[in-house]
Amino acid sequence: MVKFEIKKMFSKTVNRILFIVLIAVTLAAGILTVRDERYVQENGDTICGIKAARYLKDAKEKWSGYLTADTLKKVLKENRNIDKTVKDPHKNFYKKQGFEEIKDFINLAFSDYKDYDYYKTENMRASEAGGFYNKRILCLKEYLDSGEESFSDAEKEFLIGTYEEMETPLYYEYADGWKALMDSQYLLTLITIIVVITGFFVAGIFSDEFQLKADAVFFSSELGRNKAVVSKIAAGFLIITLVYWGMALLYSAVVLFSLGFGGAGCAVQTGFSNWYSIYNITYLQDYLLSLAGGYIGSLFILFFAMFISVKSRSTVISITIPFILSCAPMFLGRVPAFTRIMTLFPDQLLRINKGLGEFKLYEIGGKVFGYITIIIPLYLMLFLVLIPVLYIVYKRAEIK
Amino acid sequence: MELKISGLTKRFGDFTAVNNLDITMDNGVYGLLGVNGAGKTTLMRMLCTLLSPTSGSITYNGRNIITMDGEYRRILGYLPQDFGFYPEFSVQDYLFYVASIKGIPPAAAKKRVKELIIKTGLQKAAHKKMKKLSGGMKRRAGIAQATLNNPGILILDEPTAGLDPNERIRFRNLISELAEDRLVLLSTHIVSDIEYIASEILLMKDGSIVHRGTADSLIHSMEAGVWKCYAGREEVPGLMKKHKISNLKQENGMVQLRIISDEKPCPDAVKEEAVLEDVFLYYFGEKAGSSNGEI
Repeated sequence: MVKFEIKKMFSKTVNRILFIVLIAVTLAAGILTVRDERYVQENGDTICGIKAARYLKDAKEKWSGYLTADTLKKVLKENRNIDKTVKDPHKNFYKKQGFEEIKDFINLAFSDYKDYDYYKTENMRASEAGGFYNKRILCLKEYLDSGEESFSDAEKEFLIGTYEEMETPLYYEYADGWKALMDSQYLLTLITIIVVITGFFVAGIFSDEFQLKADAVFFSSELGRNKAVVSKIAAGFLIITLVYWGMALLYSAVVLFSLGFGGAGCAVQTGFSNWYSIYNITYLQDYLLSLAGGYIGSLFILFFAMFISVKSRSTVISITIPFILSCAPMFLGRVPAFTRIMTLFPDQLLRINKGLGEFKLYEIGGKVFGYITIIIPLYLMLFLVLIPVLYIVYKRAEIK
Repeated sequence: MELKISGLTKRFGDFTAVNNLDITMDNGVYGLLGVNGAGKTTLMRMLCTLLSPTSGSITYNGRNIITMDGEYRRILGYLPQDFGFYPEFSVQDYLFYVASIKGIPPAAAKKRVKELIIKTGLQKAAHKKMKKLSGGMKRRAGIAQATLNNPGILILDEPTAGLDPNERIRFRNLISELAEDRLVLLSTHIVSDIEYIASEILLMKDGSIVHRGTADSLIHSMEAGVWKCYAGREEVPGLMKKHKISNLKQENGMVQLRIISDEKPCPDAVKEEAVLEDVFLYYFGEKAGSSNGEI
């Protein structure tokens, strides 16, 4: 029965076309992500992609290791030496590419909180590098005391605690594959596209019976109000799972095979956009968490769309649900009144990799949690609740 | 085998579609005859567990069909009036799918689908997409799906609607073949569909069974007589107002009328043998065949 449900789905020309489009979009996203890897040559020419990754890897490998005070001092000294001796801007940049990221961390750490000063390292003495990790915590404390944000004492304590818990010194190595994968916009855009397109596949699983007037035969058959309904749910689950993981892994494979698998064990804070992150996890953990979150988000959004299709008996209405749930909150979240509540919307699950650097907190029973630790179990639970609800509502459908 | 309907009522808001029906049926062909809107489809949907009754019950061998759930539907075959299907499926795939939701194991389904494709004359269309079938072929695929599980109860709602005369005859013969050792309930508003094949005819009007019996007993139940007479064209409107006209045709500048009336409608009227079509008109009046002109 499951096989026939899937056959019904892909017997529609539009779904077959969309499936091909989705594969093309996934491959294109992978290629574009790889192309974003850039390396500037001595003569100022920029090369992109796999070749750039190879050069950057060679350059960064020289600086791999724990980011201790000594390493940071070396970076500051080397930076100053290059600035003194190499005046040509292209050559200057070419020579700095191996430690450019470490230089960025220093800039981040010693700039005012969330006020990045690109030239900070130029005015620093090498001896100041020793306070690198403490400065990160001090900056946070200053920011929390500045009155710019309204965190409760428990929340402030939680934030400072997570900063203090970060294992130091950080280990640094070439991790451009993971950083390209997790820190760019492509992954979250791709996951959103996967959800919207999968919406077309699953939206009609239930409502098409009504729309095609095949419901009378379906519900009057022996298994029409039990196993056949389960097979529809199973087909939906299977398609969501296969399409999601298929595309996510295809995209990951394109990026990681091109840019390299190295650096999976580096802390996410070694990525420029995650320096302020309260989640003390590695890039591999970030990857698994983001994909798992995206998967749970997809399951919830698409099962909710199927539930709407059962209630409305309209495939068109249910097709709009994934779009509304995954895209509309992005715009609504810009309205200050909705900003906080929107962090609990299911679209957040599709963009976990981009939310690591944000202080979205919730206090439950006096305990503070980062929003990621709330929304993943929350939507997993809601998805599990939706399954029997979907089954019961469809099983009881009447043909009037 | 006994299918018993007791005090069955279905209301949609203020409208009563089926009104306190009591019918008992066993093996045989039952023709449910009534005009559109008489409640035939609602009754059939309740018999197929697609609709729950407002009150009353339907039992199969003494057990309520709702509580029997899948066990009842295992012996049920249904061809709905608006027979929907999956347009991109081939006939064979469609039948395999229906076989799967009817709980027929794949090996048995393969054999049964093959048999029914031959029986319904769909050999050449077996691999054609359902959307490309003609109206008659779709109906044949419909009857094939309804009989896949060799049902003890076969419910056919307006199975000949939209078919040309040849297809209707073919279809009627197919139903006759299928009627052995099972209960077939066939609803229609076309008298000729059931005249020769139904062992019992149920006349349904405004949600109630107004008469039931064999074709002969229904004909004899008619209190009025059937008359044939000739009239000038200008007289026809007056006669139509006064009597129920079962048929009229032009003949040598005159109009030949078949009139149902208690008394002689005109001086030269000759009494005729009544047929089932006359009974239909007698009980359903001007509503008979009003929606599509067919009797």
